[in-house]
Amino acid sequence: MIRSLKTYCLLISLLCVSVVWAQDDEGVVFEMKASAESLGVNEKLRLDFRMNQDGDNFSPPDFQDFILIMGPTQSISSSWINGKRTYSKTYTYILKPTRLGTFKVGQASIEIDGKIYKTIAKNIKVTSAVERPNSEPTADDIADANLHLVAEVSKSKPYLNEAISVVYKLYVSPSITVSNFRPLDNPKYNNFWSQDMAFSTYNVQNGSYQGKPYRYVVLKRVVLYPQKSGPLEIAPLTLEVSLNVPTNRRDFFGGRIYKQTTKVVSAGKRNIQVRPLPENGKPANFSGAVGDFDLKVTTSKNSLNAQESLQAKVEVSGKGNLKLFQLPDLQVPSSLEVYEPEYEENVRTTISGMQGKVSNSYTVVPEYRGKYPIPPVNFTFFNPESGKYENLSSGEIIIDVLEGPVSSAISNANADIPDKVIVESGKGQFSFLKLDPNFMPIVREPFFGTSRYYTWLFAPILLIPLVLFVRRKRREIAEDVEGNKLRRANKLARKYLSTAKKELGDKEAFYVALEKALHNYLKAKLRIETSEFSKDKIIGLLSDKSVSQTNIDHFVALLKNCEMARYSPFSRVQMQQDYQQASDVISSLDKQL
Amino acid sequence: MNMKRYILAYVLFCFSAILYGQSQELFDKGVQAYNDGKYSEAISHYEDVIKSGVHSEAVYFNLGNCYYKLNQTAPSIYYYEKALLLDPDDTEIKNNLAFAKQMTLDAIEEMPQTGLAKLSQNITGAMTYEQWGLGSIIFIFLAVFAFILYYFLSYSNYKRVALVSSAVSVLLGIVSFAFAYSGQQSYYSDQPAIVFAEEITVRSEPNRRSEPVFELHEGTKVQVLDQLEDWQKIQLVNGQEGWLHDSEIRLIKDF
Repeated sequence: MIRSLKTYCLLISLLCVSVVWAQDDEGVVFEMKASAESLGVNEKLRLDFRMNQDGDNFSPPDFQDFILIMGPTQSISSSWINGKRTYSKTYTYILKPTRLGTFKVGQASIEIDGKIYKTIAKNIKVTSAVERPNSEPTADDIADANLHLVAEVSKSKPYLNEAISVVYKLYVSPSITVSNFRPLDNPKYNNFWSQDMAFSTYNVQNGSYQGKPYRYVVLKRVVLYPQKSGPLEIAPLTLEVSLNVPTNRRDFFGGRIYKQTTKVVSAGKRNIQVRPLPENGKPANFSGAVGDFDLKVTTSKNSLNAQESLQAKVEVSGKGNLKLFQLPDLQVPSSLEVYEPEYEENVRTTISGMQGKVSNSYTVVPEYRGKYPIPPVNFTFFNPESGKYENLSSGEIIIDVLEGPVSSAISNANADIPDKVIVESGKGQFSFLKLDPNFMPIVREPFFGTSRYYTWLFAPILLIPLVLFVRRKRREIAEDVEGNKLRRANKLARKYLSTAKKELGDKEAFYVALEKALHNYLKAKLRIETSEFSKDKIIGLLSDKSVSQTNIDHFVALLKNCEMARYSPFSRVQMQQDYQQASDVISSLDKQL
Repeated sequence: MNMKRYILAYVLFCFSAILYGQSQELFDKGVQAYNDGKYSEAISHYEDVIKSGVHSEAVYFNLGNCYYKLNQTAPSIYYYEKALLLDPDDTEIKNNLAFAKQMTLDAIEEMPQTGLAKLSQNITGAMTYEQWGLGSIIFIFLAVFAFILYYFLSYSNYKRVALVSSAVSVLLGIVSFAFAYSGQQSYYSDQPAIVFAEEITVRSEPNRRSEPVFELHEGTKVQVLDQLEDWQKIQLVNGQEGWLHDSEIRLIKDF
């Protein structure tokens, strides 16, 4: 190899002999190039000191940790192309490391046009011995260094259901060329909803990778919607690439010989931390929509006749996981007939996510005349931009059914009312106000169950025995003459003889009381005020009143008995007899007086 | 004394006349406002009528109409049901209630009633329990009258007739008392209410933690069975039961 280099150098210098030297205005370049920055202890290191203008007094650095095997060799090349001269002069040293470690190759200096230029010092690492010392870098090594597959993820901490994009780019350095590639393994996106954005042609673009100029091709673009919170992994994409890698060999004309090789590259695994949607303030009707949306509820008409149909449309438009949530349901009065909604979506997926609108179209057919309010539809979504839940509500829509039959489906409470009643009464119309107020007080006194009620209820029953008793008594009184008499006598006896009766048994007291009673009777009956009562006077008085003789005799006999009793023994039986007689006499006297 | 009583009666009469007069005026204003399309104004007039201490099926019916025109389902049904309570056979009220019920979201199938239950309801429902109570008093009076007549009549034929009619009257009196009693019981146990909240979850227990059983929407009629603190146990016409917070419904019988 060194020999071939020498040959080249000689050839070049020979070619340049006849050329007139001329200074150009370009800046001076003086640099040191090492064949490797890291080498095995059994390898050789080549150092090139190159300048673009000729100089004098070249002084190499001190190779203190290396053994100089060869050099310096000089080579000069100079060419004129379109009147422009290119000149290059190189001093080459071949060195051998002496031990392991990192060594500094110091500065070389040269004097060009009276100025001293220096190279930049370089560290060279000497590692342990390698198997194939100083071999040429293989095609694979070159490919490794010059070919990179990168997955770019737009967000590493997205919310659940928030769109993220993954772009796979193949970076190719200008020194190699790619002839073909073929994906070996398409990544599977577990726990993601994914959409691949296919494109037909690959555009080669210029860019930079780790600060160096590169060309790149976008291989694949995917939009992902995480379906699970927590750490998720995006599986790598693996490609088989066919490459042309330059070798150090040159063909007869000095052109580099390229070697073909295939290389398998893979973009590394990417980990994504998916944030769950905040539980705090999560609305009950949240259906999983994440993004920024708009809600629209429309009906094709607001007034129609029965049996005609109308379309009610619930439409959500905007940006977000449009295909991944459920549209809010349209609720309609149960008396309207509603068919299953027709789902329609018009969604474009771009690298930033889904955009467009989704809608449910309901066909509604009213059967009966009337007014049907469709309550507002509520739709809640999470806005990842603001990190908050937002709620949208459509307005209430009233559907007027102008003509048609009248509902026979009366409420459950009034199910027993026959249909025709309604039809007859209102003639199928909504009735106007009632004009007769017919007021009554709100507070009504209860009657049933109160004591007043029970009094009224049972009073007539009490009336029965009362009436019957009165009736019987009256009849008895009317019928019974003897009894009447007896009753009278008893009454009189009760009146006058009650004290005597009490003393019955005690002789003295009894007869005193009896006498007094008889006197009292006469006093009351004859209205005599005196206390003087002789028997003759009594007989006279009674005769004047034309009382029968027997009665007078009986009366006088009683009085006599009373007097006699005070002085003679009287038995209890006699007392009883006298009492009875007194009672009889008084009653018979009473009739005659 | 007598004079005083007459004066009192007269004053009372005048007072009620004034009261009714004012209410009548408000009522007419309400009608006017309704006819001009000012439904909210009409509502405030009718509410003033009720505040003055009088009501009638007409007032409630008109309120229901106003709310119907304003598309407010729950109050509309609420007032129609109230009107129907005062006059259960009014066809206009039933007609407009049917219109209002079309606006509700819930479709609840009614549990079928047995023929016997229907029959008994038809008979006892023919009159209010107060009327049945009055009837029982009248029948007992008749029975007593006939019984006394039986004693006073002399011909045996007449006596027989009197006795039989007395027995029949007693029987009728007892029956109408029974009707009145059962009518009163069912009047007090029947506590219908209307759901006012737009959408409510009926739960299995009277607290917020418990499991939801079903959902109800505005305007649905429920039967209140029980109460615990501010939770009501309700039953739907299809027999389903559950608890809900009492701020979400309004009892129809609040008078």
